[in-house]
Amino acid sequence: MTAALEIRGLAKTFGDNIAVDRVDLTIPQGSFYGLVGQNGAGKTTTLSMAVGLLRPDAGTAQIFGADVWADPAKAKQLVGVLPDGMAMPERLTGREVLTYLGLLRGMSKQVVAERAEELLSVLELDDAEKTLVIEYSTGMRKKIGLATALLHAPRLLVLDEPFEAVDPVSAATIKMILRGFVAGGGSIVLSSHVMALVEQLCDHVGVIDKGRVAAAGPLAEVRGAATLEDRFVELVGAESTTARGLSWL
Amino acid sequence: MAVAATMVQMKIAILRHSIRGPRGSMMASAGSLGVLLAAGTIYLAFLEGDWLAVALAAWMLGWIVGPIFSGGDETLRPEYFSLLGLGPGRLATGLLAAAFAGLAPVISLLALAALVVAGARDGVVAALVAVPAMVLQVAVFVLLSKVTVAALGIALGSRLGAIGTGVLNGFILALLGQSWVIAVAFGQGGQIPEFVRYLPSGWGLLAVQGDYLALAAMAVLIVLLLAAWAALLTRRAGANRRSARGRRPMRAGTARQAVMAKELRTWTRDLVRNHQITFALAYGVFFAATPLLLGIPAMLPLAGPIFIAMSAAMTANSYGVDGTAHWLTLMTPGASDVRGRQLAWLVAVGPLAVLVTVAFTLAAGGPWPLVLAAMCALLGGGAGMVPLVSVYGLIPGIDPRNRGGNPLRTTEDEGSITGMAYLMLLLVALTAAPAVVAAVLFGWWGVPIGIVTGVLWYWGLGLLAERRLAAQGPELLQLMRTGRPPEGGTSAWKMPKMSKTHEVIVMLCWSFGAIPLIPQGILAAVFVSNGQLRHSWFLATYMPPGLRWPTAILMMLIGLAAMGTGAWLYMRAKQREKEPELPPVYD
Repeated sequence: MTAALEIRGLAKTFGDNIAVDRVDLTIPQGSFYGLVGQNGAGKTTTLSMAVGLLRPDAGTAQIFGADVWADPAKAKQLVGVLPDGMAMPERLTGREVLTYLGLLRGMSKQVVAERAEELLSVLELDDAEKTLVIEYSTGMRKKIGLATALLHAPRLLVLDEPFEAVDPVSAATIKMILRGFVAGGGSIVLSSHVMALVEQLCDHVGVIDKGRVAAAGPLAEVRGAATLEDRFVELVGAESTTARGLSWL
Repeated sequence: MAVAATMVQMKIAILRHSIRGPRGSMMASAGSLGVLLAAGTIYLAFLEGDWLAVALAAWMLGWIVGPIFSGGDETLRPEYFSLLGLGPGRLATGLLAAAFAGLAPVISLLALAALVVAGARDGVVAALVAVPAMVLQVAVFVLLSKVTVAALGIALGSRLGAIGTGVLNGFILALLGQSWVIAVAFGQGGQIPEFVRYLPSGWGLLAVQGDYLALAAMAVLIVLLLAAWAALLTRRAGANRRSARGRRPMRAGTARQAVMAKELRTWTRDLVRNHQITFALAYGVFFAATPLLLGIPAMLPLAGPIFIAMSAAMTANSYGVDGTAHWLTLMTPGASDVRGRQLAWLVAVGPLAVLVTVAFTLAAGGPWPLVLAAMCALLGGGAGMVPLVSVYGLIPGIDPRNRGGNPLRTTEDEGSITGMAYLMLLLVALTAAPAVVAAVLFGWWGVPIGIVTGVLWYWGLGLLAERRLAAQGPELLQLMRTGRPPEGGTSAWKMPKMSKTHEVIVMLCWSFGAIPLIPQGILAAVFVSNGQLRHSWFLATYMPPGLRWPTAILMMLIGLAAMGTGAWLYMRAKQREKEPELPPVYD
């Protein structure tokens, strides 16, 4: 079966800094894939290259067999993306953002209106009908971002830190939607540095360290008998295991 | 004082980094230009009359008006210190101290050395008085600038404020552009109006001339401005606004209409764009109307064309101002983002342009063919040039939600944005050239030519922009995210790698090579051949008969040599950059 996302040898260097060093990853169809790593490990860079937001120095990425760089129209139709910290059309309301994007995707006006209505109500954004996106809180921004990613019924979701700075209530809503998406046959890749969250949600996990894949596969295989957190610390060899106090406290 | 010293150190550290960065060459050329202007000011101190007072007034105006275009120097923002619990007075004093550490204050101080020269002509005491006068005068300049920016920032918090500020700024800059009218109207030629000496910019000079009260007045003004600034800073840090008005539903049905709807909503809701368009309108109207003071209505028909060109210049960085929202365009290939933006630009600028053009040309009673031809060509040219310049010369903007207390400031790179505005004025003016020439030569035939060229500009330049966007979309996004062009990527403004010294030489050769070549060479030769002698500052026309032609030719050669040297250094560096063959980029 074709993988939902097939990453082969992706590499990116910024100046002297090798951000991503020939990463290979296979995200099987129907999987809920967690990508974990420290800050600066290369998760965002890898995902940006995989969905066509950043041109790689080398390597390929295929979404359901469609090459992201050779056949972007097909590949981008199949994927919904939630990048971290990017701007939106800030002077539109949530509903207007969804209408705008749906029409950009070539969807009919009618379908866009119905889906926007449903997304806004499920994500509890419909009471902010008059609020422009620029006035949204961080949690609301994540939710409207997720709505834009889901709008065109993609088969793969690529989410960069979807739970960062999201309150527990909103997080529960997002988790419910994501689980439903996978249950309906969709595939998800999400990056995070919260191990507990990945353990709770994902069935596959990839550990990225210093731009390389340190381990990847089904969750049970990667973590073995230990918790994911212990396994992660072991894999990336962080010095932080020997806790050091602060001298003035 | 410790706060001030720390802030100065921070500012110097940031400046040190930016000198090494890509902005270094920009700062070097701005610096050299500033030094030239300062030298000119000092020269005026040797002359009789009030010329120095006029020059100082110009410096003050520069300090006040400069930030309107650039958004002001915000290297250190008050928000950075909001958690430190500093009182407003200490914060303002610290930021003021930091504001002195920079290129512009140093150059202004250099220009104010003119006060010492003026003093030395009166004696030792006057020269000594000039030293504190210089320092106080720079403080007045810097503080006036700071208070202006802070007040603007607060005014721009509301739509009414944004529009009001746009009108005011347009008015001030139009008067500057038409300062000859003002000069003639006030002085009827040659006479410098008395009030110039009594502007705050002239107080230092008054002190040097023996009016010591002016020193005290400057000190009082500084205290008042500092207090005003401190008060404005506290307002800004607490600024938070929310809108809850009803929104008109989006009726778009296609991708292009959706882009248009998004853009038009941004035009009406984004205060930055409100300001841009009112500024352009006010500039056009006041620029064209100012000569009425002298009873000259002939410039009235220019209002519309100037409004169009100025609108294009103000919106030249349209993709940059939107920031990283560009990722959505990347994720939806095939949707016609450029065309939608072009249409929205036309809808925002077009009707106003037609209205102003028709009304003002009616008032002046013509010349209709010329004005209509120019208007049609400029509308197409503007709608074509804006996306094209915006994607080729993209200047990374600050994402709208991070703009901070000064909404006018849409980018960290204020030098480039100003340069881009000037370039845009020139480019858009060029798009009207064929239609204007046709209208001058053939009258009404100019109008269809204006329409045809306008449509061609709109279509062709938009196509080029669309292609660039499709080919370099990810690189543009990376530029917006990081503020740096990706390595190996092609940025239209990027200088090839060369040493700092070479870079400065290239910039100087290119910027100053044109002076000997064009006015002192070619134009002077024209005047000499026409027998127009002793013509303003054209050197060759003042020479004895046998030396006129040689002088003009020598000037041309100097200009060509300078520009040639610049081009040669540039080409050599470009060549060297190509030599190490890069591995093919995956595409």
